Amino acid sequence: MAVSYNTGAAAPANRQPIKWDKVGWFALLIVLAIVMILPLFWVITTALKSNNDIYKTPPDFFPNEFHFENFWNGFQAINFGRLFLNTMIITVLSVIGGVVSSMIIGYALARIKFPGRKIWFFLFIGSMMFPSIVTLIPLFRLYLSINWYDTWLPLIVPAWLGNPFFIFLARQFYLTIPYDLDESAKLDGAGHFTILTRIMAPITKPVWITMAIMAFQGSWNDYLNPLVYLQSAEKWTLSIGMATFSSTFAGVANTQWNLYMAANLLYMLPPLIFFFLAQRYFVQGLGSLGNISQK
Amino acid sequence: MSNTAVTSDQVSANTLGKFKKKINKSDLFWGYLFILPGIIGLSVFVIYPLVYSAYIALTKWDGVTDPKFIGFQNFQYMFTKDPVFWPSIKATVLYVVLSVPATLALGLLLAVLLNQHLPGIKIFRTILYLPTILPAVATLTLWKFIYQPNYGLANAVLSFFHLPTSKWLTGEDTALISIIIIGLWGVGGTMIVFLAGLQAVPKEVYEAARIDGANAVRLFWNVTIPMISPILFLQLITQMIGALQAFSQAQILTQGGPNNATNFLMYNIYAKGFGNLGSFPDLGYATAQVWILFFLIMAVTALTFRFSNFWVYNETSAD
Repeated sequence: MAVSYNTGAAAPANRQPIKWDKVGWFALLIVLAIVMILPLFWVITTALKSNNDIYKTPPDFFPNEFHFENFWNGFQAINFGRLFLNTMIITVLSVIGGVVSSMIIGYALARIKFPGRKIWFFLFIGSMMFPSIVTLIPLFRLYLSINWYDTWLPLIVPAWLGNPFFIFLARQFYLTIPYDLDESAKLDGAGHFTILTRIMAPITKPVWITMAIMAFQGSWNDYLNPLVYLQSAEKWTLSIGMATFSSTFAGVANTQWNLYMAANLLYMLPPLIFFFLAQRYFVQGLGSLGNISQK
Repeated sequence: MSNTAVTSDQVSANTLGKFKKKINKSDLFWGYLFILPGIIGLSVFVIYPLVYSAYIALTKWDGVTDPKFIGFQNFQYMFTKDPVFWPSIKATVLYVVLSVPATLALGLLLAVLLNQHLPGIKIFRTILYLPTILPAVATLTLWKFIYQPNYGLANAVLSFFHLPTSKWLTGEDTALISIIIIGLWGVGGTMIVFLAGLQAVPKEVYEAARIDGANAVRLFWNVTIPMISPILFLQLITQMIGALQAFSQAQILTQGGPNNATNFLMYNIYAKGFGNLGSFPDLGYATAQVWILFFLIMAVTALTFRFSNFWVYNETSAD
């Protein structure tokens, strides 16, 4: 089913009288947008303030003087380089694993006719309902017993075994692609592997890029799993480093919130950059969710 | 679903017959080869933990020595003696009841606004979605700073509008609300899913309703809501499941306090099982609480499904 991704191309509004309800909506939207952006603005303002200015009551809305050295000092204060590298390795490997495995599983469930595929589909989807907390303690024991505790493996390997939501997303998208494509490819002698990698991969780009964005965020932002599985500080991810930084370093009196916010800004950047690079596919990739009521 | 005319036995016999004729060995091989990672994942990450944690819940286990079987003592202690269990149930339920409807309503409002063909819509969409991209740790620590009673932005804004200032996270009455506000800041994820749903509603449906004389309000309640009700339903379920598992907020912002006002069950489990500094880890007792959380999640999900027939519009049942 084809969905048009028409994101508000301006209707022919010329010569029509001003629609006051639209003006009202627009004003409301602007106010909400300002409220939403304010905390982010606050990160930047704080990151640039001097040590004394962060304690002013009421706080200054703009910094009096710009202290760009806060970025370097914050960077050093939490060993940012090392944590960044750790997080990046874990994230990239998880993203690749999550996307590849889910696209393959989704392909099988949508486009290969084999007995049991419906049952497996429902089992995978059903497993989305199981809260991760149920698995946390048994898995902790499992990882402990196979010596994966205090390694990155518990954070990477599970991604390679498919993500239920991604499987669902992939399957829904595959279902919208005409089956003539596979049929003609099969007549030309192509197998499932060829169809998957040569024909489906380019067509499904919006959906796997959407997955990549989500997987990147999920992994980069993950806090609970690193907290439970990583012990040694040199293996920490940025999420653990930043959380610890905020409660120890920044928890005491004379908190250097300016350094903290500078580091925080650096921590936020990679998911932001990745999102903006891949953003145009995002709404399209989630478009298949609009077909949710279809089987 | 629509095979009401034939009995289920006949249906399965038919499909079986069809499969017997049409089973293609290569499809069978490739099908199972492709879903194999998923099968392994399901076994290791769902089935094994489920079975094993059923046993662990009945033990006393510090994570180092072997678990010691103690029957239902964990549950007995939990329901009758543990001073923080009931407060943590209360905090969790309150959080779900307050945050989920607020997030859904605001998310839907924003999606409807963004679907209005207003100028600059792409910029607004990006701005509103932006907070959800950021790491939870980054946003939570940011809000911790914003909520600082003395030099934080939140109280500065309140005094700017001549409103009374608040203790935010440090006040017993305000801590939970403060956490809910942080959650609302991340409403963009809900919004974007609703927006995808709204854009998939065929334009003809609106046209037809308009020709029949429906105004904007009626269009919203009688066309938009039914058409996106499957998405609304899915969002309701996933958000309730998510809210029941609130954790980072308590861990980073409040440590469950003040006076257990934000001692979410999930945080309580973490604190019991993996121990904050100084306390002795008891993974058996933590797992027993996991089962309570699990049953809460299942009950909420089942109830929502049970009552979904009343309001979720199902396309297949129409014809």
